[in-house]
Amino acid sequence: SGELFVLTYGALVAQLCKDYEKDEDVNTCLDRMGYGIGVRLIDDFLARSAVKKCRSYSETANMIAQVAFKMYLGVTPTVSCSSAAGNEFSLILDKNPLVDFVEELPAERASLCYCNLLCGVIRGALEMVHLPAEVTFLQDRLKGDAVTEIGITFLRKAEDRKHRRN
Amino acid sequence: VLVSMICSPPQNYPLYIRSVPTENELKFHYTVHTSLDVVDEKISAMGKALVDQRELYLGLLYPTEDYKVYGYVTNSKVKFVMVVDSSNTALRDNEIRSMFRKLHNSYTDIMCNPFYNPGDRIHSRAFDNMVNSMMMQVC
Repeated sequence: SGELFVLTYGALVAQLCKDYEKDEDVNTCLDRMGYGIGVRLIDDFLARSAVKKCRSYSETANMIAQVAFKMYLGVTPTVSCSSAAGNEFSLILDKNPLVDFVEELPAERASLCYCNLLCGVIRGALEMVHLPAEVTFLQDRLKGDAVTEIGITFLRKAEDRKHRRN
Repeated sequence: VLVSMICSPPQNYPLYIRSVPTENELKFHYTVHTSLDVVDEKISAMGKALVDQRELYLGLLYPTEDYKVYGYVTNSKVKFVMVVDSSNTALRDNEIRSMFRKLHNSYTDIMCNPFYNPGDRIHSRAFDNMVNSMMMQVC
């Protein structure tokens, strides 16, 4: 059933490409769809994984990579922290099952973020646990980079600042 | 010398054609096109037989003066045709079968690409590489 999911996702992206002329529109649409999935998926994830509350951003990032990705996509990206402030992380995927059948992006769609749905999912899920974040693709194998890298930037919220005073 | 071509129904126009070496390409285009008739004949002769792997491979279609033409048809009626030199006697039946199988597998991969529309000409680099390496092995 993994193949059916990958083929469905491919058909979705191909259809969006037919509906929208500009790559940015397709990317935005995928992100919005992902967001809708994420806000609902988080409950399923929390119920199935029964994890405890994460106490730091890096724990959250690790949780996403090692538990969530493993559970839903079957791969485990590696996490690395890319800022001194400790709120920017990147997940590096060397194997992305969603692009199994896609050899390369068509020439007229050079700036399409094929897996932008994933960014939306992560963003939506984090927002439901009160951790607003920005999620984007930093590198993409389909665009010629060596690996696929998703960057998560946790945005500060008011409660956080209260914590830091202690 | 080796030529391979893939054609799809219903108009039977070629989706992909590649020959090694590349001179005389037009003659091979002609040979392959005429062999399509033989393929159609064989398919209709099979009638309502169950299609299994063996019957996908049509075997030697017909030998011409110096070439042998082999055919293979998928369940979706996509035809693969291969023309080889008669002087290349080292090529045996099961080698041809395995070449067709590889072609079929690569073709399935192309079909799974969401950006490929069935009926388009095949422009995939991976497919070209596979065909090239296969042909280099033979020649």
